[in-house]
Amino acid sequence: MRVLITGMGGELGTRTAQLLEALPEVTEIHGVDFVPPRRRLRHAEFRRMDLRDRERLATYVQEIAPTHIAHFGVYEPHARTTPRQSAAFTEATTVAVLGAATRTGALERVAVRSGLVVYGRDRGQPAVPDESSPVLPTTPFGRSCLEVEAVAVGLGRRHGFPVTALRMAPIGGSHIPSPLGRVLRLPAVPVPALADPAFSLVHQDDAARAMVAALRSDHDGPLNVVGPGAASVWQAVRLGNRVPIPVVGPAWSAATRATEFAGAPMPPHVVELLRRGRTADGTTAIEVLGLGPLASTQAVCAELFEWATVSAIRPDAAVAV
Amino acid sequence: MSAEAVLLPGPDGGYGTDDDRVGPADPLRFVRRRFDGHYPIDPFGGDPQLQDLLAPIGRLTLPVRVEGPGRLPEIGPALLVVNRGLGLAEPVALYQAVRREVGRRLRVVGIPDLPFVGDGLRKLGSVAQYPEDLGAVLRAGHLAALPLAHTWLRQGAGTPPVRMLVAALGFPVYPVAMVPIGPLGLPIAGWRVRIGEPIRLDVERGSGDPLAAAELAEAARLAVDDLLIGD
Repeated sequence: MRVLITGMGGELGTRTAQLLEALPEVTEIHGVDFVPPRRRLRHAEFRRMDLRDRERLATYVQEIAPTHIAHFGVYEPHARTTPRQSAAFTEATTVAVLGAATRTGALERVAVRSGLVVYGRDRGQPAVPDESSPVLPTTPFGRSCLEVEAVAVGLGRRHGFPVTALRMAPIGGSHIPSPLGRVLRLPAVPVPALADPAFSLVHQDDAARAMVAALRSDHDGPLNVVGPGAASVWQAVRLGNRVPIPVVGPAWSAATRATEFAGAPMPPHVVELLRRGRTADGTTAIEVLGLGPLASTQAVCAELFEWATVSAIRPDAAVAV
Repeated sequence: MSAEAVLLPGPDGGYGTDDDRVGPADPLRFVRRRFDGHYPIDPFGGDPQLQDLLAPIGRLTLPVRVEGPGRLPEIGPALLVVNRGLGLAEPVALYQAVRREVGRRLRVVGIPDLPFVGDGLRKLGSVAQYPEDLGAVLRAGHLAALPLAHTWLRQGAGTPPVRMLVAALGFPVYPVAMVPIGPLGLPIAGWRVRIGEPIRLDVERGSGDPLAAAELAEAARLAVDDLLIGD
């Protein structure tokens, strides 16, 4: 198994590389991203490059000729990149990497990171969609995820390799940069005044485990990866001991500007989550991928608030490492 | 999907509650927990503690008399198909009956997709009228109720929603008739709840067979009709 991990510089990509390093059947691990990995990797090889340089990226992929691709090159707006960058990076990485890898003829299986955002939250969409529900994304990130899925599935059909799209709930954890996490950690959080929608999260380690399991399984098709249980928006805010600020209709655009000013920009899919909620049925993934117990949404939520604020070490303090 | 795939709801739905079995109400603890956010929300947006707190009100306003309570399943997924008039009275009365007889939280299908109203009903344990939502509830091992179409003046069973019953294939389906107790068919003295024998249909779970769903719908409608006439 020769694995290529796109987006290896992110928390999920790095963690997946670590998990793959422990597997005997994985002979080579390669990774590419615009930032270096976030933890120590023993024998995975990483290449840092500008993801918009399609030609260089494609040449690199053709040299490796991966048999398996873990596609984390799906960049959430305002996680580590601006919305414009995230769309450009996602599009460029998907097209160049999957296209080049298909040309080598060695590709056996692709797993892509997608999100529950592909279902959208328009009126007339089920509240707890399963994998057979229609996909009608209502936000830029949702459309971006759906495009990635479409490119991968299209190539898979034509060239005969299975594709697993992991539609992940918003990913939470102690280190992962996420716009939702940042908003919830503000001292005061905008919440819908007349509603209290439910949402689910998935822990970063569980998301990485799901990716490894997807690479090793023979499943072909989308899977919802969701932490059990749910939290409601008002409750999550109180769980973190934050002050809920009720917001109605048009005031949301002002709230968006206010949180951006406070250092936590809210892209449309986060506003949608706060106003309409986001849950899904994740039983199929647990069964198909044999995921075992996942961290519950409320546990992930609690961990989100346990992330201590960064404090500077006084220069005269003794530091023991 | 295989039969083993159905998960039975766990005893711990979070913070010492169960999202399938009802628990005692404790108003003081309720208020404290609202404030610090330490309360459970089930995967369908339901709020078990709020349900337990409000249950006594329902018990006082909607008295129910249950016929055949032994038929209600104590554990595992099942769907109750029930007749209804125009309002919310029948589903709420059935919720109370199930709560009292088997101590389980009933998931009534069919909340409107409206802010505030929809959200409030979701907290009380209802789910939206989508096959996906009903399928998820049953796969999670809960007891759900699917009301038939509204009937003016409560004459007979209403039209069954075939689209929804596709999600219920392979799960036990029970016909339930709600008969008002009082003059002129008004529920002055409450409701009589008749639980019927489960409808057996040899279909595999998750087959998505629309013809089987139509057969199930017809069988359910006839069974509810029989229970309604059965005086």
